[in-house]
Amino acid sequence: MKNPNNTPHNPELALEVRGLIKSYGKVQALRGIDLEVRQGEIFGFLGPNGAGKTTTIRCLLDMIRPDAGSIHLLGLNPKVDPVAVQALAGYLPGEVQYYENMTAEHQLRFYGDMRNGRADWKYVHELAERLSLNMKQAIKNLSKGNKQKIGVIQALMHHPKLLLLDEPTSGLDPLMQQEVLSMLREANAAGATVFFSSHIMSEVESLAERVAIIRLGEIVETAETNVLTGRSVRRLIVRLKRPVSNLSIENLPGVEVLTSTDETSFTLQVTGDMEKLVKALGDYPVLDLETDHPSLEETFLAYYKK
Amino acid sequence: MKRFWTTFRYTYQWFRGQILGWGIGIAALGLLIVAFYDVFGERQADFMKMIESYPPEFLAFFGTDAKGMMSPEGYLGMYGFSFLPIIIGFFAVLVGSNLIAGDEEHGRLDLVIAHPVGRTAFYFGRLVAFMGATVSILVLGWLGFCVLLNGSSLEITWGEMTLPFISSLAQALIYGTLALLLSMVLPTRNFASIISGLVMVVGYVLSSMASLNENLGTVSKLFPYTYFQGSEAFTNLNLTWLLALFGVSAIMALLAWWRFMRRDIRLSGEGSFRLQIPFHIQRKTT
Repeated sequence: MKNPNNTPHNPELALEVRGLIKSYGKVQALRGIDLEVRQGEIFGFLGPNGAGKTTTIRCLLDMIRPDAGSIHLLGLNPKVDPVAVQALAGYLPGEVQYYENMTAEHQLRFYGDMRNGRADWKYVHELAERLSLNMKQAIKNLSKGNKQKIGVIQALMHHPKLLLLDEPTSGLDPLMQQEVLSMLREANAAGATVFFSSHIMSEVESLAERVAIIRLGEIVETAETNVLTGRSVRRLIVRLKRPVSNLSIENLPGVEVLTSTDETSFTLQVTGDMEKLVKALGDYPVLDLETDHPSLEETFLAYYKK
Repeated sequence: MKRFWTTFRYTYQWFRGQILGWGIGIAALGLLIVAFYDVFGERQADFMKMIESYPPEFLAFFGTDAKGMMSPEGYLGMYGFSFLPIIIGFFAVLVGSNLIAGDEEHGRLDLVIAHPVGRTAFYFGRLVAFMGATVSILVLGWLGFCVLLNGSSLEITWGEMTLPFISSLAQALIYGTLALLLSMVLPTRNFASIISGLVMVVGYVLSSMASLNENLGTVSKLFPYTYFQGSEAFTNLNLTWLLALFGVSAIMALLAWWRFMRRDIRLSGEGSFRLQIPFHIQRKTT
């Protein structure tokens, strides 16, 4: 790994990644990832399967070693001092596997012991109750969702300063998803920085303050969630007082007519600036204009269609 | 140090069932063998006739002859100690290959190693737990061989009986650390256990056949089983062989640690050799 130790880092950042590259044989999983997550922030890491989300998170905790680039978590380099980083972080893998013969409580005691006993057991029982998890049941008899709950609890049980979560609500029912998101907000309110990956747009949109979109091992966008959803692609419904056979706005850059009804109603998709379109519509008998802010999902898809 | 002990404690606890299973099994074998010796002695003449009817190659396979068979050393060697390193060796190969790669292939290592335990403390915690489990099994087995010694005409002391078990420990450690090293180098733990098991079994066969064929004797020197000391340890324990086996085990354990410190932890499942398949048609990807 190049530049492992002495890359200067910003102390205001909980997570700082520069030029992260990782290959598996001939497959380049990460192609120079740059990320900055501020202290106390909830940061969403968005991308489809195979985009590099899990690889990035596993590099952060020294489970896999990058080919190049630098990483700092809370000012520490995981390559140089992985134990210190792991002591401050709470981690939830994308697919959690346990020792099947243990009970949930025994498994959590094991994780607590692996943290030198640094676990808040009152908090553990409170989380288990909120998630309706039976701690006395053997793990081999638990459903996927209940196993995920154990993973969430073990990530939170020591009040970590930094949470690194790979699809934290995977396998949970909608009610439990909301409960887990509440727990993450509470952890954040208590001072934890939350970095989580997901491909569930609504989840990222409701939780994350900022979002990075990863595509084929590259970060294609990093922005405030509301900025990201409020720009780039808009849907515009134009209603006219009388039919117009030929709406000559299609040639405007970034404008696409999606549907047309009775030559009086047009649904347009507009990418970028609206100014030219609004001026062009001045030549028509406009009855009504309706703009629709795209969801993060639409924004996300727009990036993937590029 | 606390992180090392935590890993050791949990791993050793997980071995409890195996320690009892393998240990009681060897102990029961020992009890039977020692108890049967006096019956064997009482009907020595009948047994001599039966043994003399065996082909000499068969007796040579067990490193003895008809006369040697009647001695306590020859008897214990044939019925007990020729198999002991293979029995404990199977345990060592299975556990050694599974010690770290097992959790990795089951997808558990990812989360365990993400806790602030450190790879070195984790590795040595597991390794020492494996060594402790092996010693525990051999102690249980040794007790089984010793309990009836005082009432037996074998005339072997408890202390003397310890020596073949120390030699068995050296054998177990060498197969276990070989399996552990291979599991860190090869993409699957199954492959590691197959190769280690082959080294053990082929070594056993070659070493046993060496007394029949000199060429095999030369080849068998490459295998650890040749340096196992069963009954011969009672009177003439070769410390150089013993220390060499412990030394090679230590080197393999250190190489496995070195590899573990530098390798990526797989999320789950088996790895791949990433070999280029000849005539493989490369499909265009979109």
